[in-house]
Amino acid sequence: MVIHPVLLIAIPLLFAFLMPLLKRAKAVTIIILLFNTLLAILMFHNVYNNGPLYEIIAFSPPIGIYLYVDNIAALLAVMINLLAFINFLSVEKVEIKFAMLYLLAVASSTGIVITGDIFNMFVFFEIAAVSSYALVAWKRDKEALEGAIKYMVLGSIASVLMLVGIAFLYSEFRSLNIYDIMNRMDEGSVLILLSFAFLLTGIGVEAEIFPLNGWVPDAYQGAAGSIASLLSFGPSKAGIYAIARLLMIFSWQQSYDLALSVGIMTLLIGELAAFRQENVKRMLAYSSIGQMGLILISLSMLDSTDYAIIAFFFLLVSHAASKGALFLLSERKGFGSNASKYAGIVSVMSLIGMPPMAGFWGKWYIIMGAMQMEAWWIIAAIVFSSVVEAAYFARYLSTTMQEEEHASIIAAYPPAIMATLTLLLGILPFIYKIATIGGVING
Amino acid sequence: MRRMAGIVLAALLFACIMYAFTFVKTYDYNSSDYYYTDPIEGGKVNETVTGHYIENTKNETGAINAVTAIVVEYRGFDTLGEVTVLFTASTGVSMLLYSLHQRRKRREANLILKEGSKIVLPFILLTGAYIFIHGHLTPGGGFPGGSVIASGFLLMMVAYPKYFLKESRVSITESVAGMIFVLIGMLGLVFASYFLENFLSLGDVGRLFSAGIIPIIYIAIGFKVGAELSGIMNNLKGVEE
Amino acid sequence: MIWAIYFAIASLLAIGIYGVITKKNLMKIFISISIMETGVNLMLIAIGYIPGGTAPIENGDFTTYVDPLPQALVLTAIVIGVSVLALALVMVINYYEKNKTLEYRRLMKW
Repeated sequence: MVIHPVLLIAIPLLFAFLMPLLKRAKAVTIIILLFNTLLAILMFHNVYNNGPLYEIIAFSPPIGIYLYVDNIAALLAVMINLLAFINFLSVEKVEIKFAMLYLLAVASSTGIVITGDIFNMFVFFEIAAVSSYALVAWKRDKEALEGAIKYMVLGSIASVLMLVGIAFLYSEFRSLNIYDIMNRMDEGSVLILLSFAFLLTGIGVEAEIFPLNGWVPDAYQGAAGSIASLLSFGPSKAGIYAIARLLMIFSWQQSYDLALSVGIMTLLIGELAAFRQENVKRMLAYSSIGQMGLILISLSMLDSTDYAIIAFFFLLVSHAASKGALFLLSERKGFGSNASKYAGIVSVMSLIGMPPMAGFWGKWYIIMGAMQMEAWWIIAAIVFSSVVEAAYFARYLSTTMQEEEHASIIAAYPPAIMATLTLLLGILPFIYKIATIGGVING
Repeated sequence: MRRMAGIVLAALLFACIMYAFTFVKTYDYNSSDYYYTDPIEGGKVNETVTGHYIENTKNETGAINAVTAIVVEYRGFDTLGEVTVLFTASTGVSMLLYSLHQRRKRREANLILKEGSKIVLPFILLTGAYIFIHGHLTPGGGFPGGSVIASGFLLMMVAYPKYFLKESRVSITESVAGMIFVLIGMLGLVFASYFLENFLSLGDVGRLFSAGIIPIIYIAIGFKVGAELSGIMNNLKGVEE
Repeated sequence: MIWAIYFAIASLLAIGIYGVITKKNLMKIFISISIMETGVNLMLIAIGYIPGGTAPIENGDFTTYVDPLPQALVLTAIVIGVSVLALALVMVINYYEKNKTLEYRRLMKW
């Protein structure tokens, strides 16, 4: 069976365009997201069995654009679409324009993950950014507008810096295809290193990493819960994966060192700032910054150890699912029902890194990797940040457990499903291992 | 403090960019330094990307204007994204202005502006249409053409304080034009082998009816951009009483 | 000659970033961002320039053309800039309605 990854982008776009004519916004969006999730799962199945998948668009690359789907990209596409689907179920009153912007944000995040062309990636970043600006301002009150404007100013600077990076990269290689550039990259000249720095700063705004991540707390605080959740598993995760792809191009020691130092700074600053916060959403946002720093650290080890890619995957997925659940829960004062209690506790455990959640495996493998590299100070930073994390999450749980909640029962299920995903993912590696030993699944 | 930070950062950026420019080489698209590799097969190919565009634009796409060929055919996916960015922005604009109702009273324009804009409007619309229909032959295309059309409506809005476009018509134009773009891409998947690939005959190169899907896409883009920009201005002007 | 253009590009970007950091008025901040966008568009064009090249429309009279790809990229970048600016202006209008001022002081707060 032929799978066309381009449909993952084209179909949501088509229906976003058609939404004003169709009127039934909620039903259409749910069907599209469900369809996309199934398509992404099929795509992952295909990639898992047959190796990376190419989809040429219009002309063969690098003359034209192509989509390149490898294992991790396919998994991320599944993750983004599945979480977007679950998250959308929690939205009670759906307006047409909200549904349009939501679909566009999801489609563009998927696009960032699967595209193989650097300028195309920039275009998808812009769609994701513009739809996020509008979604953050959705509530139209003072806080929402302030957050959205700050996001917008930093996002616009980011897009300029990204274009500067792309222009310098183009001037050196006269090609925009990521894999063409990767094949022709031999040694790091100053120009290429500078263009990497520009691209890292530009993408870093979307990926919530230091130094241009000042928008994160304000935007998350102003946005509604479901939108904060979308931002944390959609554009920001796609952004960090884009950095992973860039590190494949710019794979020399200087760029890994740059990524490592930025990552450690982001981790420490984010976690320490989260510890000081009173407001729940701000605390979660700063904690997100810290986690993104952790993910960037795992990326910076890509060249040195095999554990890095596993750690990257676990950290990314566990953070996406558990932060999504926590942001959804943050709409309410506390966890009244059992479903919300379960969701809150599982998500927090996964973020701190307690077994058997997915977050534990992420931290486990990153520490294994650091031990292999004998970089003790990385381990020290990670352990220190975990302690800080445990402290503020304990405070968070102790306040929220006591409060009663005032929300419908249905709204309690989406976060519970997300939390179950992190739990399942934490247990599943054993299943995979057992299956491999028994010879049932190869790979 | 703030001013110091500004000066330091600006100087840093200036220095970085000027320093990077010293490494930028003059480009020659026949030079073998820039031969690309095939990202799928892996081997080196004996041409540059730019050289390919300049050599083969006519026989691969049927367009004379290489920029148009790149925008609509070779990198048509970027253009789909670009149209989507504009669409997203116009959705956001109408969503955010939805809650603001009261507007200042505007003064009536003078007679010359009022009558003149009535006379000029059809010609502006015609020029816009001319620009996007001839996108594959002359400089221009869907985006400039759409902007010219929107400027015609802007003139009407300036001249008549009570002139408003019907929101529903604007959004229907937007939707249908966007749908045509995506559907043409999908037809490429069905009738040819790739998304957005040309599946029509290229025709007689250099004539109006040539270049396969390029004119169709550019007409759709022209309508879409015209509708979106006029919709944004319509929203910025205020809500109809 | 090309260095004059490079100088202009770097200056536009530097002026833009200076404006974003030092100004408190939202309109001025977004004008500064537009200046930066102009700078980067000029930069793409300058990178695609080939000495002696003409516009890449093939009429048969010329043999050297400038690189058409950056021009296509600039077209995209301009449209994106316009979209972001339109949305920004609407946000500014909303902000003014809520606060009755255009001063924005949270930008540099981390």
